[in-house]
Amino acid sequence: MIELKGIYKWVNTGNHRTFLLKDVDLSVKEGEFISIMGPSGSGKSTLLNVIGMLDAFDEGEYNFLHESVHKLKEKQRSSLYKQYIGFVFQAYHLIDELTVYENIETPLIYQNIKTSERKAMVADILDRFQIVGKKDLFPTQLSGGQQQLVGIARALIANPKLLLADEPTGNLNSKQGEEIMRLFKQLNDEGMTIIQVTHSEKNASYGSHIINLLDGMIQDN
Amino acid sequence: MLKNYFKIAIRNLWKNKGFTFINIAGLAIGLACFIVIALYVKDELSYDRFYPNAERVYRVDADIKFGGNQLNLTVSSDPMGATLKKDYPQVEEYTRVYASEGGKLVRKGNDYINEDKIVYADSTFFNIFPQKIISGETKTALYEPNTVVISETTAKKYFSTTDAAGKTLEIDKKPFKVTAVIKDMPHNSHFHFDFIMSMKNVDYGWNNYLSHNFHTYILLKPGTDYHAFEKNFEQVLDKYVLPQAKQMMTGLTSMDDFRKSGNYLNYSLMPLTKIHLYSHRFPELEANGNIQYVYIFSAVALFILLIACINFMNLSTARSVNRAKEVGIRKVLGTGKGNLVAQFLSESTLMAFVSMLLALVLTYFTLPVFNKIAAKSMDTGIFWTSSFLPILIMLPFIVGLLAGLYPAFFLSKFKPISVLKGKINAGFKKSTLRSGLVVFQFFTSIVLIIGTVIVYKQLHFIQTTNLGFSKNQVLMIDGTGALNKNDEAFKNTVLGLPGVESGTMSGFLPVTSSRSDNTYSKDAVMDPKNALSMQSWVVDYDYINTLGMQIIKGRNFSKDFGTDSTAVILNETAAKVLGYDDPIGKKLYQDYQDQNGTRRIVYTIIGIVKDFHFESLRQNIFPLGLKLGHNNTMMSFKIAATDLKPLISQIQNKWKALAPGMPFSYRFMDDAFDNMYRAEQRVEQVSITFAVLAILIACLGLFGLVTYMAEQRTKEIGVRKVLGASVPNLVTMLSKDFLKLVLIASLIAFPVAWWVMHQWLQDFAYRIRIDWWVFILAGLIALLIALATVSFQAIKAALANPVESLRTE
Repeated sequence: MIELKGIYKWVNTGNHRTFLLKDVDLSVKEGEFISIMGPSGSGKSTLLNVIGMLDAFDEGEYNFLHESVHKLKEKQRSSLYKQYIGFVFQAYHLIDELTVYENIETPLIYQNIKTSERKAMVADILDRFQIVGKKDLFPTQLSGGQQQLVGIARALIANPKLLLADEPTGNLNSKQGEEIMRLFKQLNDEGMTIIQVTHSEKNASYGSHIINLLDGMIQDN
Repeated sequence: MLKNYFKIAIRNLWKNKGFTFINIAGLAIGLACFIVIALYVKDELSYDRFYPNAERVYRVDADIKFGGNQLNLTVSSDPMGATLKKDYPQVEEYTRVYASEGGKLVRKGNDYINEDKIVYADSTFFNIFPQKIISGETKTALYEPNTVVISETTAKKYFSTTDAAGKTLEIDKKPFKVTAVIKDMPHNSHFHFDFIMSMKNVDYGWNNYLSHNFHTYILLKPGTDYHAFEKNFEQVLDKYVLPQAKQMMTGLTSMDDFRKSGNYLNYSLMPLTKIHLYSHRFPELEANGNIQYVYIFSAVALFILLIACINFMNLSTARSVNRAKEVGIRKVLGTGKGNLVAQFLSESTLMAFVSMLLALVLTYFTLPVFNKIAAKSMDTGIFWTSSFLPILIMLPFIVGLLAGLYPAFFLSKFKPISVLKGKINAGFKKSTLRSGLVVFQFFTSIVLIIGTVIVYKQLHFIQTTNLGFSKNQVLMIDGTGALNKNDEAFKNTVLGLPGVESGTMSGFLPVTSSRSDNTYSKDAVMDPKNALSMQSWVVDYDYINTLGMQIIKGRNFSKDFGTDSTAVILNETAAKVLGYDDPIGKKLYQDYQDQNGTRRIVYTIIGIVKDFHFESLRQNIFPLGLKLGHNNTMMSFKIAATDLKPLISQIQNKWKALAPGMPFSYRFMDDAFDNMYRAEQRVEQVSITFAVLAILIACLGLFGLVTYMAEQRTKEIGVRKVLGASVPNLVTMLSKDFLKLVLIASLIAFPVAWWVMHQWLQDFAYRIRIDWWVFILAGLIALLIALATVSFQAIKAALANPVESLRTE
């Protein structure tokens, strides 16, 4: 599903070049659950953003579902990830001015799905995550765990093939964290491909395999 | 403490250079507009006030309706002033100005120069309008006939010295002794004369209460109520005017009788200090101002200043979120609310002061431009006068307070704990006040746009409307009276030049000039009911053809008829007043007096000419009769040639041969026509300027607001982008709220603009309809400008890489 070959990403500071990613090769098959680990500044989030097509890279090849991402134009790339990728953030990044229902509905609006259809899809996922009772609340009225649940629901609403999570439990207590990880496991069992960035060994162990990153390079296991 | 405030203020302003710039630039432009308009208004209000007894001087005006003609005159009859002084002790002095003869030829060496600021006046003129004397004296200056008082400029022009008293000037071939040289009259006087000749030189059928030709000014004794004094005119009418009227109209018995027949003759007093702004009568000695424009421009100045203040308020409150933390910390450290308010106010006042300085610089450089547009000669020297300086110093305080008060209280109200916990997030969206202020800004801008468009359309209408005659390609040559017996020869020579189609010799042309009315009667015995009062123009055979007028009934003057010397062609309006079904062949009787007593001429109506506009379109078309005769004061030629320069120099050569030494001056009729609408053209230019500035300032504010809003919503924009929002989606989202405000502003602006412009158009007897699309257009312009302003920032925000904004700290 994902094929990264010799990915480089750098920033130039003066006449000095700092590598964020260095010769990264990675292949992810459908249905895998991968955890990216590494110390702060090792390039975990950068790698995740590159995979999620939010960030560009300077060198290398990236194939996603047989599409050569590095050759695509901005517009095609955005339509590609709109269709296939869902994001979950450490800080949830819900929109404060919108209710739970509206937050979840937002991606569908941007995919030009009809109102009636949207209604059905949102209702469905509210039901599945058992947050129907909270649909008219605003994010600030929810606990951290509940907010992240909404965040995940929003990521899944458009039926993506790949779920990218950047430290999804980083702002949560251990109990809430565990619930979220169990949900991830369950999603993976149902066939969802998941890539998560995490600091915690325990969370990493939910995945099917771990990639260690140090100074932008993948360490051999 | 104050020092601390200012230190923090300066640092804060420096830190947010962008906002500071927008604030100061907007405020400076607003203040500059305000100052310029304040100068203009002050100047307009200062007219004639410098005369020492200005408050007691009044002009005697006459309102007449007679024989289908209605006149509001600035002039009254020749004995009026003397009669008032003789009969009423309240009248201290009177003086008359006689300006009906127009320009005169003044000799300089072997050449003659046509001078038009030339009048006759009584010797009492300088008692009522004292002038600064350079040489000679004015007390008895005009007492003797053949005396003249001239202005400084004139003295230099003719004698190359200001010490010209005692010298002689040749005016219209007669020698005049210069008895005094006065300084040029101040620009804010309602008249400016270069030559004032003795009234004793006027050749006139004196002591005629029925003819109105003299600008008469009276000086009332202190404490006289002029409204009460006006009641005396009723006596004057009965005692002096009626007896003379009875002689002319045998059927007339009393003034009441005269009024019952639908006519009137009323006199009133116009205070000298009001003439410039309130007098819209005929004939004015010079084009006056208009109080309406003083009001309009004052309102515009205030609104533009308000728009600039609003920018300040909006940006400050919008920025409040950034300042919230500072406020929180200060409060925790024990700062009271009063101190915070003082701090924010000192910040706004500081900014207002900087803006003021900038505004003064802007004014200094733009005043010459404005002077040109508004035909004024104001200078920045007035800044330092005792009446203006306090305003300049107070203004920044007022503006600083006005603009800073709301943000100051808004900011100092924050609760420290919630602020420090970062819970103040409502900085942007929910401010109805801010929305209201943006609506106000765009409301003002849209009203100005609509105003500008309608002024433009009315002017365009004036220039393109069918006037009933053709003003294009008509060359007018002034002062052809100087040709004397050579006039026909000159006319024929010019007609012989290639490119000249036709020509006519007549002093009467359909552009504004001074003319008078005569009274005619339908029947042999005149009474008020059968009278027709109309202008009569002496024209020649080629007049109607050359000016492209249209005969709709009867015929034009023709050499084939020997009797045309007593023929008259009426315009449609005059024909309507007479009321005949078929006026052709009907008679008109005119009585007039000369040395041999009353004489009568009987005219025959031979044709009706289609109504044409011989006054400006502000006025209705009045009755007019064309008579055949010889009047060589002007010639007009219809030109077919496109290359005019060689043609004009050819004509000039012929002139030099036939009228040696006489000034050759020509105009094009369409230019002369445009001159009638100078005031409106000025208004157009001034309103375009201010509309552009208002929009500029409003957009500056909008730009600031959007920048800030985009900054505020960076995170949200990032999230939405990751969720699949496209750039257009985001731009729409960011722009929508503002565009909604502009729409609301439009809806409020439409009726207000309609009302204001409807009032303005009432000045014109012939005017455009206000089309609905003007409103839509103005709304669209405002919307597009707002959109352009907003979308620049919105696109920038939408294009930003979401990864940057979503990075978790």
